[in-house]
Amino acid sequence: MSKTVKIASIYPTLLGTYGDGGNVAALRHIAALHGISVSVDEVSPGQKVPANADIYVLGGGEDTAQSAAAAALHSSGALAEGVKNGAAVLSICAGYQILGHTFLDAEGKPSAGLGLLDVTTDRLEKRAVGELIAHPLSTSPAEITAVLTGYENHGGFTHLGNGVEPFASVTSGIGNGDGKTEGAINGRVIGTYLHGPCLVRNPQVAEQLLSWAIGRKLEHIVEAEVEALRQERLNFVTKNR
Amino acid sequence: MNTPLRTRLAISAGKLAAAASRLAGRGEGMIIGGTVALKISPHALEDLAQGRVAALVSATNGKTSTTRLLATAMSQGGPIASPTTGANMTEGAVWALATGAPGAQAVLEVDEAYLPRIVKETRPKVVLLANLSRDQLDRMSEVAMLARKWRKMIAENPEVLIIANADDPIVVFAAEKAKKIVWVGAGQAWTADSSVCPECGTLLSRDEKTWSCSGCGRTRPTPSWNFEWKATKGKTSATAVSPSGEKFDLSHLSLPGRFNASNATMALAACSELGYNLPKAVELMSTVSAVSGRYAIVQSGALKVRLLLAKNPAGWSELLDIMPPAPTPVIVMINSNHADGRDPSWLWDVPFERLAGRTVIASGNRRRDLAVRLLHAGVDCVVVEDPFAPDAELPESVRKLDVIDCAATYTAFQKIRVGALEGEVDA
Repeated sequence: MSKTVKIASIYPTLLGTYGDGGNVAALRHIAALHGISVSVDEVSPGQKVPANADIYVLGGGEDTAQSAAAAALHSSGALAEGVKNGAAVLSICAGYQILGHTFLDAEGKPSAGLGLLDVTTDRLEKRAVGELIAHPLSTSPAEITAVLTGYENHGGFTHLGNGVEPFASVTSGIGNGDGKTEGAINGRVIGTYLHGPCLVRNPQVAEQLLSWAIGRKLEHIVEAEVEALRQERLNFVTKNR
Repeated sequence: MNTPLRTRLAISAGKLAAAASRLAGRGEGMIIGGTVALKISPHALEDLAQGRVAALVSATNGKTSTTRLLATAMSQGGPIASPTTGANMTEGAVWALATGAPGAQAVLEVDEAYLPRIVKETRPKVVLLANLSRDQLDRMSEVAMLARKWRKMIAENPEVLIIANADDPIVVFAAEKAKKIVWVGAGQAWTADSSVCPECGTLLSRDEKTWSCSGCGRTRPTPSWNFEWKATKGKTSATAVSPSGEKFDLSHLSLPGRFNASNATMALAACSELGYNLPKAVELMSTVSAVSGRYAIVQSGALKVRLLLAKNPAGWSELLDIMPPAPTPVIVMINSNHADGRDPSWLWDVPFERLAGRTVIASGNRRRDLAVRLLHAGVDCVVVEDPFAPDAELPESVRKLDVIDCAATYTAFQKIRVGALEGEVDA
């Protein structure tokens, strides 16, 4: 019996607009398939962010909510401490932008992010909305081998610095903004524009996060329902290209 | 009424186009009629409105039902021009005015994003604002952005009386600067889109009755109209309470659920401001049993279904309450065509866990998304492409039911509605 994996869902009331709460549901579900026990701490603003979680999950959100979340995380400092202790982080969209150096607030003014990923975000000329497909790279974590599928809906253009690698390579959609790279990764900190939710459509990413948390490799478990959904989405994009 | 010649010609052209569209079997022709009329006379809406528009109704959820309740209540004073299909953009408004009884007072449902323009062009007496929550984020504004647009609209149209829900903080932010306002404590079951203050971003404090923001001091306005809802052991009661304390029993509404009683309270407040007899209004509202197919019982292929429109988490969270209890199976159809919103990730915000103990027939072009959502929710599910086909592989329990609930997103809902035998569908 391995240890209980501590999952912290960061401010789901602020960062959960695009169904990203499903990522935590997916972690629970996939952990159960592997016989891993988890505890989930849903942290509301005003509550203490734990510094000892194994996996932190941050979702997308509207501009005002994003700024509120960034301010609260700044004053807490716990997320940075968790990362220093080796925790894994999955951050989506607005959550991803918060982890960078700066992002733009509702008025278009740069706001300070947490600097946990060497990225900065400004504005895309045209909002990126639609199905997003990306392929893992040689630098992507070992467990993630299958094509990544999701839905993007963002106005941010995220520029990658030297301190990060792209999370994946875009085959359809916009991703970070250049139409080539999607997301960013440094160590166990992942930022991505994949909604869908990300971990529902890409169970390997969930398995990677859990694998980091328990310190051993996981055999990929294929669920028929999930595989049917993945195939249907990938075919949809091919058909409508 | 003195309609300019250009607009009269535009309406005639629109009617021809609508008739052609109907002949070609392309639907009711409202949108095409309105579109043609607006092309020929861009000011058609202004020309047709001219003091006729009594009320506009906008919200994320419940626009069509509230519009119907209000129009029916107001029919005590004579015919009312009101759209019958939920066509709620500029074209639909033009068409409802052009085809309604000449000179009749109008009640129009208006899309949230189109509201500023339609308020400006129609100069309504009252505007009802019930709720704002996430809906079709792939093409609609985010919720706070929409609220800012409404706020600006209200500042620019100070003569319009606003009737707004004091329990939705986003609506309050949008409406609070109105010169003339009637607050209604209409309730809010879905709070996930108003967790923070839309102005300062502080997390709102909530208890059962009220809400407030510690950041900027904004609090729930004291409502003039109140709404009481009680549900105990399958029995429900609903009461609207007027500013003077007069109580109106809404328990006999034919439309189901807390949200429809809440919609009726908003409509009743509007009737009061517009000078209608209120007991008569309640009586008339009770006769509304289906609204553009919503809650209608229709034959669809081999099954008889009660049609429910369910297109976002806020709407879903209310609909789950009116479905018969487990183990009664239900059909859920999720599409992601343009009018549904392309991104059904909101399925993950719906508390589908509450369907546990029954079998869900998952259908629609996003049935696979739904199947995975239900798998995670621990809800038994059968994926069926067309549950209405005579040879559809359905569980025994489905065939045994006289009527099965079918909750569907907009395009799936419309397909069943249009496909059903005409006589059995309302309007």
